[in-house]
Amino acid sequence: MQKKMSKRIWSMLMAAGLLFLGGCGNETDEGQTDTSGKGQDDFVYVAEYQSLDGICEHVNTPVLGKDGNVYFTGTKDSEDFFFSMKAGEDDVKEVPLELEKGMHVSAMGEDSEGNLLLGLVRYEGDPEAGGTLKNVAIQKMSPEGEKLELVDTGNAFLKKDSSSFYIGHVLQDGDGNYYICSGQDIYVLRTDGSLYFEISVGQYVNNMFAMKDGRVVAAYFGNTGWSLEAVDLAQKSLKPLESSIVFDYGTYLDGTDTDLLYTQNAILYQCDLGDEKPTELLNWMDSDINSGNLRDFTILPDGRIVAVTVDYSAGAETELSILTRKNRSEVPEKEILTYASLYVPYYTENDIVAFNKQSDKYRIEVKEYGDDTMDYEDRVALLNADLTSGSAPDIIDLNYCLLSLEELVSAGVVEDLTPYLEADGTIKREDMVENVLRAYEQDGRLYGIMSCFGIEAIVGKVSDVGDEASWSIEDMMALVDAKGRDAEIIEYVDKAYMLSTLCMMNQNRFIDPETGTCDFTGGEFAKLLEFADRFPKEVDYDANGPSEIEKIRSGQLLLLTRSITSVAMYQMFEYEFGEPVNFVGYPTMEGSGLLLNVNGTTAAMHAGSKNKEGVWEFIRFNLSEKRQENLPTANGGFPILKSALDKELAEAMEDEYYEDEDGNQKLTSKATWGTGDFSVEVYAATQEQVDRIREMIETAQPNVREDHKISEIINEEAQAYFDGQKSAEDVAALVQNRVQTYLNETK
Amino acid sequence: MKTVKREKKEGRKRRIRPELSEEERVKRFRMPGRKKDGEKDGEKSGNGIRKKNAKGRRTSAAFLSPSIFGVLLFFVVPFLVVIYYSVVDNPIQHNFVFLDNFVNVFHNAAFRQAAYNTMKFSVIAVPLAVVLSLGLAMLLDSKIPFKSQFRTFFLTPMMVPIASIVLIWQVLFHYNGMVNDITALFGMGKIDWLKSEHAQVVIIVLFLWKNLGYNMILFMSALGSIPKDILEVAVLESAKPRQIFFHIKIRYLSSTILFVTIMSLINSFKVFREIYLLTDDYPYNTVYMMQHFMNNTFGNLDYQKLSAAAIMMSIVMVIIIGSLFLAENHFGKDVEG
Repeated sequence: MQKKMSKRIWSMLMAAGLLFLGGCGNETDEGQTDTSGKGQDDFVYVAEYQSLDGICEHVNTPVLGKDGNVYFTGTKDSEDFFFSMKAGEDDVKEVPLELEKGMHVSAMGEDSEGNLLLGLVRYEGDPEAGGTLKNVAIQKMSPEGEKLELVDTGNAFLKKDSSSFYIGHVLQDGDGNYYICSGQDIYVLRTDGSLYFEISVGQYVNNMFAMKDGRVVAAYFGNTGWSLEAVDLAQKSLKPLESSIVFDYGTYLDGTDTDLLYTQNAILYQCDLGDEKPTELLNWMDSDINSGNLRDFTILPDGRIVAVTVDYSAGAETELSILTRKNRSEVPEKEILTYASLYVPYYTENDIVAFNKQSDKYRIEVKEYGDDTMDYEDRVALLNADLTSGSAPDIIDLNYCLLSLEELVSAGVVEDLTPYLEADGTIKREDMVENVLRAYEQDGRLYGIMSCFGIEAIVGKVSDVGDEASWSIEDMMALVDAKGRDAEIIEYVDKAYMLSTLCMMNQNRFIDPETGTCDFTGGEFAKLLEFADRFPKEVDYDANGPSEIEKIRSGQLLLLTRSITSVAMYQMFEYEFGEPVNFVGYPTMEGSGLLLNVNGTTAAMHAGSKNKEGVWEFIRFNLSEKRQENLPTANGGFPILKSALDKELAEAMEDEYYEDEDGNQKLTSKATWGTGDFSVEVYAATQEQVDRIREMIETAQPNVREDHKISEIINEEAQAYFDGQKSAEDVAALVQNRVQTYLNETK
Repeated sequence: MKTVKREKKEGRKRRIRPELSEEERVKRFRMPGRKKDGEKDGEKSGNGIRKKNAKGRRTSAAFLSPSIFGVLLFFVVPFLVVIYYSVVDNPIQHNFVFLDNFVNVFHNAAFRQAAYNTMKFSVIAVPLAVVLSLGLAMLLDSKIPFKSQFRTFFLTPMMVPIASIVLIWQVLFHYNGMVNDITALFGMGKIDWLKSEHAQVVIIVLFLWKNLGYNMILFMSALGSIPKDILEVAVLESAKPRQIFFHIKIRYLSSTILFVTIMSLINSFKVFREIYLLTDDYPYNTVYMMQHFMNNTFGNLDYQKLSAAAIMMSIVMVIIIGSLFLAENHFGKDVEG
């Protein structure tokens, strides 16, 4: 009896042990990042939004004080004001700045005592049109708006390249030294405004702030990754901060109770430098805030989090968001739509946040599959498992899916959008650019809509590539022969890249999708191999070599491969090449070699979604006139909506004017464009330029999708040819054998 | 006639089972708790037995349930899911298509290629694995020097991890590998062993190299268990070695041959692992196996094609293994093993 009891006890203990082990592990699957935050905590930060736009004509340089006040400058009745208001309250305190004529506020920062510092710059003439820098000063003001001190920097900056000078960051340390950051340079000024020393960082400084211990830190993306470096006054240089935490691209500020408060991949973290890992505070997307729009954020003493955002997709709308921690049960429930993607680009984050904010019925939550540290196969396996299971997402990002549209369609994963488009009363098929719409069409069914796009092209001088809309491989070979072997054909393009690109462009010549057969042995593939062999095997970036523009203008570099995403970009290349250019596309055996590139959210509807109406609402939202006319950035790409595209092209041809000191309207540039080596002022485009862009859009190929597997096989086999071990014919035969097996399988 | 046969068999087994009287038989097989003849079957005692039996069944069920649950969860349910997937159009819409997937798969050129290659490989590699390992076992069973060293030598591949095996084979059979270096000494041109018609030969050699040792040990063990007196009698009766081998040894080895054949057959299907590591997911078409087809269709989310292929393959496997069992029953029925 005792033995029996002992057995029972042991059995129960083992069962309990198994249950305990079964309970181990995270709630979310390994490798999947559920950015909704659900399953981690039962609370959420709920945001209240307060628009700052009605207060003045244009909200400028908004910053948050530790006291929860927001400070900014702006124009009201042609006069510059300093504004302050308590977060969550409507009372706005305004103080006239009474700036010297021509002076404007370029940046705002804080000193160690909480006073505001206004970085002032005065130009003579239009700075964008070669105006001259006349004065740089720092105006110190109390939080109440009292003017405390005006620090004139004298001649400290006047010797600089005045056309490109602006103040990005301004602050003051506990010793009274001022710090001004302009682009890639940091200037340290003594208390009297004289230049103490300057540091050339060599990279654009994204953030600059003072930590609790008084050290002034610059955050930038350097050659070895993201860097946080403190200004060393003794060495007059930057010194890396010591921390075991690996920092990455983001927005970095000083913390309230900790050393740092920063946003990385839409997550807000805080940490001390001595910590082993940072503390995750919230995901901005949960509170319908696009982390890419953040200008400043802070934690208030009562635990609320305040953020200032500027949304360029809504006409540079400046908003104050006050985030209060609440139980999930207190938040009104919405129907959840899951957005599956391997990566969430800024424009998609922007679209999701905007959609969530305006929808009372639906809420999109992002599910990211793995990160860059994971193998391609592992990430695909994670996504595949979900796509065909009960936990399938509602929306699939077609651009960051890794599975081809063909694979998704053959597995029955994606829904045909045609019936939704036909039934929709607000948007019609003919409202959109036809060939762009067809990019995700297969067998007459529409599976996704590219809301915004760019055109990938090969850019070259008309004298080199001619003025035709397309060219052949023979044309390109002739150009290379004419220019000699010393000339670089395309910058940073190696044999493998060129071969796979050419094969992709000409895949219809080698593969017949109807019959599922291929022909790589006909001689044309061997010709491509021979052509690709002219390119370098490996390309190394030469930081000390001549710049891109120097190489182009001296004839060392013949062509560039670029994605054209705006009219201004087109104009910039005309300047860079120094003579008329042609955007000719990749050499093909037939048709135009221009390619359509995805530059906006491209969502597909999961066939098993229980909220198909909600998914369509999101797709339609991205195609709405307001969204299409206000793409996230100036370089955001061309809208698919014809009316928005027409408007953008028409606006590109309109001249812009500014009012000079005498009240005269003077022509000014529309934007400044450059690549780091040069910058060019872009004025209104000509009708000819716009016509060419329209032609490029209309002739760009929508259906060319790289088949990764075929490219992989081709590149693998081509190596033997590039290494001189096998003939082009032998390689072609091997490619034929393996690709045919692949095609047979997918039939 | 039946009685005579049984007597013959029992005689061969040299077991003498004395006939039991009816009384003794009842006594020996009486269930515990059962009343003796002549005792009255009281209601209480009958219930007690039933209750005890029911309790016993419950206890057995309780102990068996984890295993049954495991088998259901990891074998039966997945198999049913595979059957289900094989008759629907895709895992999302679940439209019933009956045998369409089977027809599609059967007409698929890649499937046919994979089935042909797998069958060809098995037909060549499995008999070779059986015959060569039996030959080696016979050799080591005879009186030759360094038997122990040879045995260890043939078992070595079993100890080498698969990654190392693949690495060794790559070093040997790569386009710039050792085999081509050696053949070059004789003036022969380079052969791309793994990407040519020779690829399956390389894989068969790899398969034999890896599996011969294990099979050989099994055969050596079986050879050792053949009754010595029978062999001695055969020698005394002037039987030739060939006769001894075919009429005595092979008959006694039949069950081991069946086992080795089945194991080799299973291993021949598992050779995909080595091929995949050597040549990736889309190899030269002569080494494109059934598991390539299944693995790739799984990666492409084509579960219906995968399921149909898996079921077709399992049917073929059942037929082959069933035939092997029938053959063993036929050839080894008069030999205890």
